[in-house]
Amino acid sequence: MATEQTKNEELVPIVIDGRTYHAPRGGNLLQFMIEEGLPISYFCYHPGLSVVAVCRQCLVGLNNGPKLVPACQTLIGNKMEIDNSSYRVLDARRQLLEFTLVNHPVDCPVCDKAGECILQKHYMDWDHQPSKIDHPKVHKPKKVEIGPRVVLDDERCILCSRCVRFMAELAGDPQLVIGKRGNRSVLTTAPGRQLDSPYSLNTVDICPVGALTDRDFRFKIRVWELAATPSVCNGCATGCRCEVHHHRNRVYRLVPPRHRKKDINENWMCDFGRYTYKALGVERLTLPRIKGRDVGWEEALGHAATALKKAMAGDRARIGIVLGADATNEDNYVAARLALDFLEAPALYLGAEPAGTAGDDFLRDNDPNPNRAGATACGRGKLRTSEQLTQDLEQGQLSVLYVVGDRLHLSPEALARAAQLELFAVQATHPSPMVQQAQVVLPAAMWPEVDGTITNRQGKVQRLRAAVPPPDVARPHFQILVQVARRAGLTLDHAGPQEIFAAMQQELAPFKDAQWGKAMAPQLLRYAGSRG
Amino acid sequence: MTTIERDVEAHDLTIVHMGPSHPAMHGTIHLKLALEGERINKAEVDIGYLHRGFEKEAEAHCWQQIFPYTDRLNYVSPMLNNVGYAMAVEKLLGLTIPERAQYLRVIVGEIARISDHLTYMAAQTMEMGAFTPYFYVMKGRDWLWDLLEEISGARLTHSYVRIGGVAWDMPEGFAERTLAILPKIDQIVVELDKLMTRNRIFLDRMQHIAVISAEDAISYGWTGPCLRASGVDYDVRKAHPYLVYDRMDFEIPIGTDCDNMDRYLVRMEEMRQSMRIIQQALEQIPPGPVMVEDKLVVLPRKAATYNTIEEMINHFKLVIDGIRPPAGEVYSYSEAGNGELGFYLVSDGTGRPVKCRVRPPCFMGMAAMEQMITGHMVADVIPTFDTVNMIGGECDR
Repeated sequence: MATEQTKNEELVPIVIDGRTYHAPRGGNLLQFMIEEGLPISYFCYHPGLSVVAVCRQCLVGLNNGPKLVPACQTLIGNKMEIDNSSYRVLDARRQLLEFTLVNHPVDCPVCDKAGECILQKHYMDWDHQPSKIDHPKVHKPKKVEIGPRVVLDDERCILCSRCVRFMAELAGDPQLVIGKRGNRSVLTTAPGRQLDSPYSLNTVDICPVGALTDRDFRFKIRVWELAATPSVCNGCATGCRCEVHHHRNRVYRLVPPRHRKKDINENWMCDFGRYTYKALGVERLTLPRIKGRDVGWEEALGHAATALKKAMAGDRARIGIVLGADATNEDNYVAARLALDFLEAPALYLGAEPAGTAGDDFLRDNDPNPNRAGATACGRGKLRTSEQLTQDLEQGQLSVLYVVGDRLHLSPEALARAAQLELFAVQATHPSPMVQQAQVVLPAAMWPEVDGTITNRQGKVQRLRAAVPPPDVARPHFQILVQVARRAGLTLDHAGPQEIFAAMQQELAPFKDAQWGKAMAPQLLRYAGSRG
Repeated sequence: MTTIERDVEAHDLTIVHMGPSHPAMHGTIHLKLALEGERINKAEVDIGYLHRGFEKEAEAHCWQQIFPYTDRLNYVSPMLNNVGYAMAVEKLLGLTIPERAQYLRVIVGEIARISDHLTYMAAQTMEMGAFTPYFYVMKGRDWLWDLLEEISGARLTHSYVRIGGVAWDMPEGFAERTLAILPKIDQIVVELDKLMTRNRIFLDRMQHIAVISAEDAISYGWTGPCLRASGVDYDVRKAHPYLVYDRMDFEIPIGTDCDNMDRYLVRMEEMRQSMRIIQQALEQIPPGPVMVEDKLVVLPRKAATYNTIEEMINHFKLVIDGIRPPAGEVYSYSEAGNGELGFYLVSDGTGRPVKCRVRPPCFMGMAAMEQMITGHMVADVIPTFDTVNMIGGECDR
């Protein structure tokens, strides 16, 4: 039994359909049944939200009582007898679905939720009866632009109020309400308000039907075509667990993990984080460049290595290496090892974006760098800041600057100075003023394209999994580093991220207890059944 | 060095490669013959040139999407493959299909069996140089295909059978037209009989060639006409009656000489028996539905799908998620043109099979080829190969 409910509670025997279970006293009956994998249906219940029992879909018989009770509102007590399979219970379940479908539009072919819709799933599991209604359906507003990122279809709404409760209880911004009465009820916002919270897209995830849809994802692809690869959001230092949904080497959306875990982000993600996937396909650096000229890998690597070798013959303290707060631990470890173990005491810096103000007390963090903690750990206490880098450049203490990642921000003056160095090489994913000034540009892979780990603000090491290949010839950071080092005559030898991770575990304390995790093939959503 | 190559060196033999680029080898079989003069001293049979990956392909498709692939197993009697596969999934689902659908399956199945055997007759005679019978029987096969086209809409790849029944009822007048064609087919069988069965040239090349005893046939795993020609009266339709075969009055012909001629004669008689079955089935067929009424298996009607949300969801989920049989495994078998066609299916409760394995009857026939032709003349290879009625789509899958 996975335990959403606390482990230390007293277990009491209860009987469900003649079988005895040991359940936590005072726990939620529906949650217990879900965790036990018992056949049950529900719309309005969500483990992260308050219980309201408005959908009545989880009715079960309790102690042979005259009325059925909603399991979601029933607390587990000693020797309870639950009936979850008699005709009375199944018929209630079926009839409720019949009512729910009375006014539901015939939208499946054009509905974005179709294929991962809970209403569809429950109909096939519990109802599968033909329609008995010959009365016209009640019509409500369709295609309501309820917020900048969410589109509402009131006809599809089954009034479970999950979204209303999410906004009030978790987003801390009660922007949604249910207006009007009876079968005219509609989901809406207060007059003049919009659903514009930075967490608005969570309402799309928890909507059991297609009432709330993501404007960005709408009509892009049918969900059953997608495959899911578990990963970690790189939007900020929080490091939310997420799933990358992709099809034919293209990422379509990031969503919170399907399986709820009581850790960093449970089932939620912020809107900003979800849209970070867009950077994958926009203006990527795809070819190596030397002084603005597109070249092949061999030429670019050779150029960087020759300059590095020349600098190594001189004063090695004049070689500057910048770790990336957006690169994986494995990338940063290799960069730090190159600097500290092979080049011996060069200048080591951390390239990180300055903290912003987007943070809140829910998920978003002020630090927009996904892996500042990991890069810092890899730097073994020898990291200097970008301010110090600016200073060192001004004082002419560097002859080589080798940057890993996109996050280093230097003033135009500092960049102009860097461009005058013997070597100014950048491994980056996107064009930037820094890339413009760099002598050698080495195109790198972004996080959904690589295997590796990153460390979040709490020091938790989490695994990234490659979902799609890098564009054109772009390569992972660590691979570029190893190739430059080899050409410079150094025996920096790493086969792949998993081997690097194993070496890191041996050497660096912060990674000692981290797990690489199992190999996992992308899960095709089509045959996974309805996600629900 | 293979055994055949060792033998060649030891006994000064000549190696001749027959196929796969040889019309009588269907372009899909490679025989490596070690010849001592014109006598086959040793032979090796290579199959696999028509491997389509049917079994693997099935793992990537919904249960109901696999029908068109079964059409291409034994492609001279696709209806029988349709029936065999549908029966396997229904066994997994625990479904009993309506009586009318069972009768329809028997009728189209037996028509397919006659067309299968007619095709065999055509190939057998033509490849031995008798071109006339080829046209006689092909004409008959065409009439049968007209019938199958009328009922299924497709001439060769019918996909007429569905999980839970058949796609639709037979069209008006189909029974009459079938009953009108059967005597004509019978006439063709009689003509063929007159032309071939007592033909001296034919007999010389068929009798006492490629004798396989009943014990050998069983140990090779033979089924169907070839096994019966070896004197074993095993026919799935009699031994384990399925559909409505237990209500039919028909005989199982068996051979006594276990040679090529017997394999030919058994098929001749089987065509006549199939015609009897079709006649009886058309007489007995009751009115009623041709599909089960199960929302979890059968697609709803189009009009209802487009106009009510319930049927829309039903249609949507059946198409996108597929029929979902309970987790488990099943082996189901039926009598196809060449013998016992078996489907072994494993379900994990999702919309597609975890494993779909076919037991192709002519595969076992090919296993015996080596023994059958060893010791005979090169010229005997062709008629012997024909009597096995190897169909590449089924043998190699």
